[in-house]
Amino acid sequence: MKRVIIGLLCGCLVLSLAAGANAKKLRFAFMPGVADPFYFTMEKGAKAKAEELGVELIVGEFPKAWGPEYQVPIMKALVARGDIDLLFTAPTSTEALIPVLKEIHDSGIPIITVDTYLGDGDYSKPSNYSFPLSYIGTDNFLGGQVVAGALALLLDGKGKVFLENTNPDVSSVIGRENGFRAGLKIFPDMELVGVEYCLDVQETAAAQTAAALEKDRDIVGVFGVNVFSAQGAYQAVVAAGLAGAVKIATWDATLTLIEALKKGEVDLILAQMPAEMGSLCVEWGVKHLTEGAELPKKVIPGFFVFTKDNVNDPEAQQYIYK
Amino acid sequence: MRVLGNFFPFGMSRTKKRKALSCIGRNWALLFLILMLMVFSILGKNFFGLRNFSNILLAVTTLLLLASGETFVIISGGIDLSIGFIMGFVCVTSAIIMRDLHAAGFPQAISILAGSSIGILLGLIPGFVNGVLITKLRVPPFIATLGMWGIANGLAWRLCEGFPIAFLPSKARDIGMAYIAYYSPKKGFSLFDRPVLTERADIWNLMKIIPLPVLLIAILLVIFAFILSRTKFGQHTYAIGGKVDAAIRAGINVPWHLIKVYVISSFFAACAGLLLVFTLNMGVHTQYTSSYELFAIAAVVIGGASLMGGKGSIWGTVIGVLLIGTLNNGLMMMGLPIFYRYIAIGCILIVAVLIDQLFPELVYEE
Repeated sequence: MKRVIIGLLCGCLVLSLAAGANAKKLRFAFMPGVADPFYFTMEKGAKAKAEELGVELIVGEFPKAWGPEYQVPIMKALVARGDIDLLFTAPTSTEALIPVLKEIHDSGIPIITVDTYLGDGDYSKPSNYSFPLSYIGTDNFLGGQVVAGALALLLDGKGKVFLENTNPDVSSVIGRENGFRAGLKIFPDMELVGVEYCLDVQETAAAQTAAALEKDRDIVGVFGVNVFSAQGAYQAVVAAGLAGAVKIATWDATLTLIEALKKGEVDLILAQMPAEMGSLCVEWGVKHLTEGAELPKKVIPGFFVFTKDNVNDPEAQQYIYK
Repeated sequence: MRVLGNFFPFGMSRTKKRKALSCIGRNWALLFLILMLMVFSILGKNFFGLRNFSNILLAVTTLLLLASGETFVIISGGIDLSIGFIMGFVCVTSAIIMRDLHAAGFPQAISILAGSSIGILLGLIPGFVNGVLITKLRVPPFIATLGMWGIANGLAWRLCEGFPIAFLPSKARDIGMAYIAYYSPKKGFSLFDRPVLTERADIWNLMKIIPLPVLLIAILLVIFAFILSRTKFGQHTYAIGGKVDAAIRAGINVPWHLIKVYVISSFFAACAGLLLVFTLNMGVHTQYTSSYELFAIAAVVIGGASLMGGKGSIWGTVIGVLLIGTLNNGLMMMGLPIFYRYIAIGCILIVAVLIDQLFPELVYEE
């Protein structure tokens, strides 16, 4: 046994020396989920870290729409180069991307999933989708709970609320919905009166929220789960003349939403940390490939909650997506 | 036909029966719309009301514009798949111009006017290109406009880089969200000037009468409905769609006419894009998932047009759009999940074509 361990250690030493002698520049690939400010910000964070650590970062074309049919061809072309040391990507389907990424993984490219995950996102127990090194992203369920709590705080823990969601088949936003539902259960005087899906079309979100406000006229809070649903929801609230009377909680700190918060049109923004996620992917990837570091199976960078009280704070500015 | 005939009283004469049937065949969409309004008023919570009807109208404004332009193209026997993305392209370009002029310190009115007019003018170009490709270079309309579908989308995307264009002049939204008149039990009647109310009950009791965008669209539609039904231009459009050879023999300059038809379609799409700037107060590119062009085609067909050309009208299209909008809103107010709404619209579309196929003699007769 001892001999085996010594042998292994020697092997590692030789390998690391060989690596040092070559001093080959690492080449990482990033395959985003869809073309939107969130992933653009993630790309910026990853690029900055890559530059700092001397990694060459190749970014796949941003898919024009959400879904494996858009993402997979670009991803395949990206890894077909054959010189990629690590791939980090936001899988656009919890199921459909399993065989695709498995094949890439089996060809010798380690994988990190970022923002979205495969299966149920738990890579710590053995399964057909547990091969990625790590999931680096938001815990959407936890975020949904945070939003529910923060919204309840604004509403003194009572009243009817409405949820404007995007796609019923995407893990991240469904996680937010489930977390929001679970978070609301803590407040017995709060009731979720409706959930709508706008499929990322802002105009649809506005129409749906307008109808919801008409159906239940005593709605006091709306949660829009992403940039499109939130912006649509607040358009409807403003149009109804209820800005201020209906509190709006949203997810994702885009410049537009931050401006709306400053104007008092939205009341609460939960910011994910996309730049941080991209940066962590590069950092952990380098650690893994150069030092053989074992990655935690799940890395959550955390949240930042914007309200009108802290939106102008200098240290809050870094969490705005630019 | 025989089956349907039995629904009428025995005493009715044959010609009367045929006339009644023909009337139903031609106006089934309108009858169905009225029926739906009644059903939803009974089943849906707060469905029947001025404010909800305004909501329905506001929700279909863009579709209404797109479908009206598409009506011209479909009557002429073509199809235009690019309208949804031309809308997004104009929305983004107009918004960028407005934002940049506004930021450069120009008065709001000038920024808005410049953004609007340049946006509309740019929006005519894709239609012209479509028309030239289809008539002069003989590219099938489906392919030519599918190409433009991609080009317009790519351009919009490149211009906005996926971000919504915000920080527009605030007057733009004031226009987009204005109503013709307001009535508040507390503050009385006012034209264009929204009374400032703070109490929630007062806000709900404020009557908002006819959204300004709806009025502007109505005026535009009256003009184009007139062009289609009462002018030589309209007659030629029907003639080309009905039988292109006959139209050529009759001395109509078919290529030039079709180019104008595609420019009209593009113009309506540009108006829709501009409308979005005013209502959303933001420039947004069109999402792939929105399928505006397909819903526009659906509305035109539900409204009685045939994809074979030669048939259809602006009023039919208006009914088709209202049917889709009412169905969406009504099912939503009943609390039905979104999936069923898609199924419902799909069914209605198929029914529309079935009626067209089963009773052609009814629909054409008179």
